[in-house]
Amino acid sequence: MVAVRVLGVLGVLFVLSIVVFAMMYLAPGDIVKNLLGNRPANPDVVAAVRAQYRLDDPVVVQYLSWLRGFLTGDLGTSIRLQQPVADAIGDRVGITAALCLLAFVVSVAVAVPLGVRSAVKAGGWIDRTGNALSILGLSAPTFAVGLLLLYVFAYYLPILPVYGGGDGGVDTLRHLVLPAVTLALGLGAIIVKLTRTAMLRELESDYVTFARSRGLGEGLVRRLALRNAAIPIVTGASLVLTFLVGGTVLAETTYALPGLGTLLQDSVLFKDIAVVQSLTLLVAVVIAAIALVADLAYILLDPRVRRQMGAAA
Amino acid sequence: MTVILGDLAVLGPAGPMVEPISAEIAPGATLALIGESGSGKTLTAKSIVGLLPRGFRATGTVSVAGQAIPVGSAGDDAAWRRVRGRSVSLLLQDPFTSLTPVHRCGDQIAWTIEGAQGRRLPRGARRAAVEERLAEVNLPARVADAFPHELSGGMRQRVAIAAALASDPQLLIADEPTTALDASNQAEILDLLRRIQEERRLSVILISHDLGVVRGRTDDVLVMRDGRVVERGATAAVLAAPAHPYTRALIEADPVVAARSGARLSAEEDASGDRAPLLACEDVTKAFGARTVLDAVDLSIAPGAIVGIVGESGSGKSTLARCIAGLEREDAGSIVLEGEALAPGRGSRTPDQMQIVFQDPYSSLNPMMSIGAILAEALGVAGRASSEVPGMLEMVGLPAEFARKRPAELSGGQRQRVAIARALAPQPRLLICDESVSALDVSVQADILALLARLREELGIAILFISHDLAVVRMIADAVTVMWDGRVVETGPCHEVLEHPAHEYTRLLVAAAMRENAVPADGKD
Amino acid sequence: MSDIRVIGVLPVRRRRRRLPIGVGVAMGVLALAMLAAVLGRLIFSDAMHQDILAATLPPGSDGHPLGTDELGRDILQMAVAGTASALVGPVIVAVGSMMLGVILGTLAGYERGWLDTLISRWTDLLLAVPVLLAAIVVSGVMGGGYWVTVALLIVLFSPSDIRIVRAGVLEQSARPYIEAAQMLSLSRWRVMFRHILPNVTSLVVTNMMLNVAFALVAFSSLSFLGVGVAPGTADWGRQLTDGRAIMFQNPAAVFVPALLIVAVAVCVNLVGDWIGQRLSQVGEEAR
Repeated sequence: MVAVRVLGVLGVLFVLSIVVFAMMYLAPGDIVKNLLGNRPANPDVVAAVRAQYRLDDPVVVQYLSWLRGFLTGDLGTSIRLQQPVADAIGDRVGITAALCLLAFVVSVAVAVPLGVRSAVKAGGWIDRTGNALSILGLSAPTFAVGLLLLYVFAYYLPILPVYGGGDGGVDTLRHLVLPAVTLALGLGAIIVKLTRTAMLRELESDYVTFARSRGLGEGLVRRLALRNAAIPIVTGASLVLTFLVGGTVLAETTYALPGLGTLLQDSVLFKDIAVVQSLTLLVAVVIAAIALVADLAYILLDPRVRRQMGAAA
Repeated sequence: MTVILGDLAVLGPAGPMVEPISAEIAPGATLALIGESGSGKTLTAKSIVGLLPRGFRATGTVSVAGQAIPVGSAGDDAAWRRVRGRSVSLLLQDPFTSLTPVHRCGDQIAWTIEGAQGRRLPRGARRAAVEERLAEVNLPARVADAFPHELSGGMRQRVAIAAALASDPQLLIADEPTTALDASNQAEILDLLRRIQEERRLSVILISHDLGVVRGRTDDVLVMRDGRVVERGATAAVLAAPAHPYTRALIEADPVVAARSGARLSAEEDASGDRAPLLACEDVTKAFGARTVLDAVDLSIAPGAIVGIVGESGSGKSTLARCIAGLEREDAGSIVLEGEALAPGRGSRTPDQMQIVFQDPYSSLNPMMSIGAILAEALGVAGRASSEVPGMLEMVGLPAEFARKRPAELSGGQRQRVAIARALAPQPRLLICDESVSALDVSVQADILALLARLREELGIAILFISHDLAVVRMIADAVTVMWDGRVVETGPCHEVLEHPAHEYTRLLVAAAMRENAVPADGKD
Repeated sequence: MSDIRVIGVLPVRRRRRRLPIGVGVAMGVLALAMLAAVLGRLIFSDAMHQDILAATLPPGSDGHPLGTDELGRDILQMAVAGTASALVGPVIVAVGSMMLGVILGTLAGYERGWLDTLISRWTDLLLAVPVLLAAIVVSGVMGGGYWVTVALLIVLFSPSDIRIVRAGVLEQSARPYIEAAQMLSLSRWRVMFRHILPNVTSLVVTNMMLNVAFALVAFSSLSFLGVGVAPGTADWGRQLTDGRAIMFQNPAAVFVPALLIVAVAVCVNLVGDWIGQRLSQVGEEAR
């Protein structure tokens, strides 16, 4: 089963890599001009570009050479930054990773307990507050929340920095607080909903009735339910992931953080195709890897699936 | 040590659901609550452990060995925790859902012990205590490390019993503890409960819809209907000489009682005959993946005959019916209807050949269509006009104005009548009833069986009647085929199979049908 | 107590619940928004008219209750005129992707086999791509305006709709009433569209409503990033993006369109949740 999943993921990535590669041709305008950007189009430079992208070879050869480049870390040159794409990404990946991790940790730490409480006391004030917050979190675009926080902290409460990525270390962390909170709101809204729905279903099941009827403590009963609910919650993680990717771009743009999101946005607007291609494929690989990990977690969480796997092996 | 119920009643959001009940149960004694769906027996059980659904409330008093149960204070968790497990435990119907699927059985038993003692046990003592409880329900120690899905239904229910009793309560409420189990497991579980009860001097409230379960295993009985106790007394006396007409009707409708007296709903016809069979199956074989569910099965149905197929879940009886109907494709073998060989699948079949009545009346009618539309569609398939809808309803004993209703407005029995009318609309030559009465209350079940018998007389239709319960089959079938593990183990005229079962498995089924205390040879699963 | 039997055995017809206040307000807001979408551009036909002399006026200025942006356009007029652009796209996206979802999801769930495999692989592929990322990259690199974005979002939103409908259809297909329909040798189209579809309507409607809210957020996010809606168009997302530059001079330039987006999305979510609850109650009673 794991092997089948891995093959499936590789298949998806293969198809996506073709689409991403084709982007070069789908962009309007002359391909060489696009690849040149605003460099002067003298014959030497044109020839160099044609050679680099093997434009005179069949498309299949072009694709394979491009893919080999991607796999070996040779991602081409950014026409906008005039630096290797790998370096441009390497400079910015840290801040984006820190932002995502921070937002993820914050939202899980708040949203899972909130979802559990909401389900346990369904209809109570915690449930209603949680529900209102999660609707608001789902409805408010990340940038709208970001702009609001930015305005408040720039004007009325100037205790946190609102622009840029800081000088590293603790300062960067301080700069990441507002973007992370912004991102965590939307993320948390999804997780609260997932957790509440899954917990509600588990709390209605027979094993909970049976557990209560034989005198198990309410804390233990909730832990049992949460352990069972973990399976659907982890399964829903893909939703969280796709939100996180889009949200990061918005949060970074709002707070002018020098991360991968702003890099992507700037490159798109500049039609810096090499960067866009690399980032898109990179994100797809990361998402596929995390989805695979979620699947493995699913197997670890559910002994029934584990047993099927044992039987198949 | 006595359990006393004093005017225990349950109020629902729309008014009283169970009227006041009083009863006393001595240590080691069993009180049976008998009733059909909607009688309030399960609500009564849940009120004693404080687990009524939202919006429901209990009044009255319950005391267990002198300790008062906080019946009226639904939300007081602290008060309930002092009595749940320690004084009262509840055993649920379905062992497949009452244990958490992702925890080991040993842990689930240990939690009860730790809950009652209010502390965690050290590892060694915990293991020893769990093994002791497992031994009490005749399970080996290795079950402690198993997950529920690795055990059979009967073994799971034993784990549940061990878990329910691990905190040594004085009262056990068993809510339909064997209904979800196969016939051969039912007697074992009931006998196990009886033995533990005697050893522990445990008071038991046994809730069941099945008179056969109650007979010989309980001391007193309360017969409930519509939230009221209509009759009470010593079990043997009530069953022998019922005073209330409802109790009498229940007993008369009970297939087990009929099985013992030999009563039938239709005269047994000689199904062997030399007439050409309506349906002949030969060597029908079917596998799902690596599992063979049908292994070279033969079956023959004479025109106008009622043939019963009996077997437990997993015996392949439903798969055979579905292959005949074309809903499943057999891998090999031949199915011949009126001399015409039918290729696997629905494509080769027409609605006027055979129709099915399914088990669950709640999901066998499209909830978004009116009864009239459902029947008109089925009539239309055979080119019959929708003006015949009232006639179809009348045929199955329903008033014509039901055509305007939706399935949700009908009771289970009424829905099953509609399903029968729909199946008859294309005028099929074979009617397949796949557990069609097993989801119904006993009294409704008898009505539906009588309807089927009458339709056979009036229409001359052949019926393939599939059931897990030999007692039900023998009320109506001319011939019986017994299936086990995908094979036919015995076949013959109904009375012969019942009176002289040749195969050992058939003997087990016959004993279960008569609700005799069958003790299997080795006493294990 | 002869009425107990009715309570216990037959499903009780619940009294029609009163409309919760929040949902009522949300419906009112949505009605207003729809009115603005239809009439807004007619009333304020020159909302995008620039007037450098009246640039960046604060709220409360004469003739400009919410002030103006740096090109002198009236914030209130732009907000009203931008309703159509902000709402039409998301509604078309939700309806369009659900149409794809209903057709492909029903086919996959009922027909199974190779068709199911094909459709499921297709949804797997699309689900591996984050919606916003794909929309930014494609409409950014390839260019393309409003309607390209609409088409793109329909495709990107469809996989979750297909999955939801497919799961609902699969669940229904296993029910005996579907097998009973097969026993009548009804055509597959009749089984799918007369028997199965009406029973998954609650899923379809609820998810369509939720998708309107998601699409609204997605559209404005794309505008914020500078893709999707062409500059100079009356549109909430566009207006917000343009207003960022003068956020500290006239906060209304940013927060009026932002508030409108959030308010409409919240209301759509509220009404969608409520409809979902109502329909699933009806479904439960029908069981």
